[in-house]
Amino acid sequence: METDLILSGYQVTLRPVTQDDLEMLRTWRNAPSVSQFMVSQDIITPEQQTAWFKKVSRDPKQLHFIITYKDQSIGAANLRVLQGADLYTATVIEPGLYIFEDKYRANLLTFAPSLLLNDFCFNRLRVKILRAVVKSDNEAALNYNQKLGYQVVRKGALVEIELQQRSYDQASKSLKGLLSRPTKRKNNDVR
Amino acid sequence: MMSANLEKLMTAFATALNVDIQIVQDDLAYNTIPQWDSTAHMALIAELEDIFDIMLDTDDIIDMSSVAKAKEIIQKYGVSL
Repeated sequence: METDLILSGYQVTLRPVTQDDLEMLRTWRNAPSVSQFMVSQDIITPEQQTAWFKKVSRDPKQLHFIITYKDQSIGAANLRVLQGADLYTATVIEPGLYIFEDKYRANLLTFAPSLLLNDFCFNRLRVKILRAVVKSDNEAALNYNQKLGYQVVRKGALVEIELQQRSYDQASKSLKGLLSRPTKRKNNDVR
Repeated sequence: MMSANLEKLMTAFATALNVDIQIVQDDLAYNTIPQWDSTAHMALIAELEDIFDIMLDTDDIIDMSSVAKAKEIIQKYGVSL
């Protein structure tokens, strides 16, 4: 996993997960508000979390980020290679994310990390397809992904969805416009 | 009695979300009804900007998560309600 890749835009920043984030991530991941939408609801122990970090740190097929907004950590995001030897040769990638902070979960801002990840995958990594699997009862996630241009390719208890660049570019244009406007800053703010 | 601008704001919500104006109450919030999704939110921003001839900045677009919050934000742009 690359440790120096930082993605910024649409008002948020994605920075790589570090050792110092592990306890926060574990708390988030074990919270019912997050775990209910995961395939497994098992409680993750500190040891499992450390082992996970060791594993993903050496894996060229995964990137894990902390999402920050106005210097506050609000959630987590990741990319996993589904086809290809590593991120830079991948043709199919699965992006994932969750927002932990309640205030930002039901908010237009939830699209910002996806826009950053998708731009990175399509424009820099030149990925052909983004693929995701969503639990069929997670209507919010299905609607959310549909707004980004995803199409359902397989239905079941888990719904498989895919996104291609043309569909993404078309679907995301207005969202990008709104989330890319300048922000007003107080005079004493340092940028 | 409702001010003309407040009436415009409520109508903007009803139009953008395609809902009856009666349900446009202060506690109505983003994503709490199927009609107020991201697409409707974008339509709402366009409607408010058009009606009040203002340009909202991104922080305010993000913060506009309820009718009450919208009232507060619109007033920052010099619109009296």
